[in-house]
Amino acid sequence: MTARWILRYGLGAAGLAALAFGVTTLLTDPQVGDWQGVVEWLAFAVVLHDGVLVPAVLLSGLALGARLRRRLRWVFVVAGSLTAVALPVLLRPGAPANPSVLPLDYQRGWAVSVSAAVGLALCWAAGRRALGRMRGGGGRIASGYARMRRGRTRGSGPS
Amino acid sequence: MPESRDSRPVSLAARAKAGAARSAAGVTACRVRLTARLKTLRPPEVFPARARVGPLREGAFRGRLHDARTAVSLGRLAGTALAICFVTGLVSHYLQQPPSWAVNVLPSRPVWGYRLTQGLHVATGIAAIPLVLAKLWTVYPRLFAWPPLKSVTHALERLSIAVLVAATLLQLATGLLNTVQWYPWSWNFRQTHWALAWVEVGALALHIAVKAPVIAAHWGRRSPGTLRLPAADRPDRRAFLATVGAAVGAVTVTTVGQSFTPLKDTDVLAPRHPDHGPQHLPVNRTAAAAGITRQLLTAYRLTVRGPRSYELTLDQLAAMPQRSAVLPIACVEGWSKNAHWSGVRFRDLLDRAGAPHGATIRVVSLQRGGAYSVMEMGADYARDPLTLLALSLNGSPLSLDHGYPARVIAPNRPGVLQTKWVGMLEVMV
Repeated sequence: MTARWILRYGLGAAGLAALAFGVTTLLTDPQVGDWQGVVEWLAFAVVLHDGVLVPAVLLSGLALGARLRRRLRWVFVVAGSLTAVALPVLLRPGAPANPSVLPLDYQRGWAVSVSAAVGLALCWAAGRRALGRMRGGGGRIASGYARMRRGRTRGSGPS
Repeated sequence: MPESRDSRPVSLAARAKAGAARSAAGVTACRVRLTARLKTLRPPEVFPARARVGPLREGAFRGRLHDARTAVSLGRLAGTALAICFVTGLVSHYLQQPPSWAVNVLPSRPVWGYRLTQGLHVATGIAAIPLVLAKLWTVYPRLFAWPPLKSVTHALERLSIAVLVAATLLQLATGLLNTVQWYPWSWNFRQTHWALAWVEVGALALHIAVKAPVIAAHWGRRSPGTLRLPAADRPDRRAFLATVGAAVGAVTVTTVGQSFTPLKDTDVLAPRHPDHGPQHLPVNRTAAAAGITRQLLTAYRLTVRGPRSYELTLDQLAAMPQRSAVLPIACVEGWSKNAHWSGVRFRDLLDRAGAPHGATIRVVSLQRGGAYSVMEMGADYARDPLTLLALSLNGSPLSLDHGYPARVIAPNRPGVLQTKWVGMLEVMV
């Protein structure tokens, strides 16, 4: 029994214990209220993620093709994450409890943050292109840069 | 064992012995044949090859970066974020609902303690959203591994991953919805969040233990497993990780200003903003929601019950020595802000009632109903020189929504325990 073995199996056992405690609390604590409802939502979360969200992402990637995918990935991932985090503030129904809850114009906030992400990506791409063209004329430095670019070009930038 | 085909006459005993040996040999041979047949036949019988269609086909996922190195690189970041969420969540749980033995043990310092832990809880929860989604995208093809089940252990492992994914997705989604006070479900958020946190962290630890060899083999750039992967993917992987990092940065910068005030100008997507609220401070429960009106407070008296009970009018309270403190309001929903408070020191009120130093104090609000209309405060909080029965906020008398005429403000405490519209303090024995 090495230290590594003890660590691994100890972690596994601790995990099982925590899991058992969590499941027991969920199923037996009357304060939870409606554990069947929780189980339904858990299943729903997996189905929505594995059955809808990821297939949609993969299929749209397939439709774009490898080249475009690499160029647009940055924009899609950043804008998609901003949108995911903004969904609750954008979609919450009903009036907030008081004026200090959800006080901002979130449509504007979402549009501004996504545009900023796209803008940054465009600036980055333009900057790289300009840098490439500027160094494109010279001898050794240029060829060194070109070599570097060839090595990294498959998407090291957000372009 | 070769079977004997002996036809010579032998003794009865010898014949019986040979018979037993023959049948034993037959059973063994049978078992060997059966095992061999099961080995070759079992998987196709349970999972016939013709069932292997769509995403289950060999090589159905031709895209890159669904490899173990990418999964390890993202997994350790997502795992760290979830671990921070878990620990800060435990802190919040015990500060907000201390078990009876802990009431007098909880420390009132550091002043910014709860502000930091709960701000981190919500900020890392938000940062975990792109991390977890990217990690799950990377390992998604493994959902269609063939054969779907190999053994009981394999089945249990897949079940634990299903539990981990379900619990993590639900914790992140419902936690985010809770910060905007949106509850489209039938269960109690707080207790479910608590139970699922244990489910999630347990499934995560189990997952790390099961995958330990794979994680070790892909931990570093020069780990043996990493080196076996196609070198051509390396720049692409770096770019992908940088992209996910940018997404984490984007969601953080646009929301963290609700608790980290230097970034309040980039707070465009958080449910709260430090500049919005009466007296430049956000509010959760308003006077109207708590059933408090000016009329109700016209004959206001603060009652202090203890060895020497007494009552004070608002004027008498204001005539007592006033102290000031800069203390944050830090809500469980993640927002927080420092404010200037002044009022009567809590310990002065307690000394006047002859309260023993180690006593727990019960604080009763004038609000109608609500789970926090009665609050208990441990001795460490009650005796802290910064804990005030505040009468003013940022230089002017408390507004009705901030708890006029008097409210509790103590260091290192969740906002719901900073009781507003205080009507009575009771020294508990």
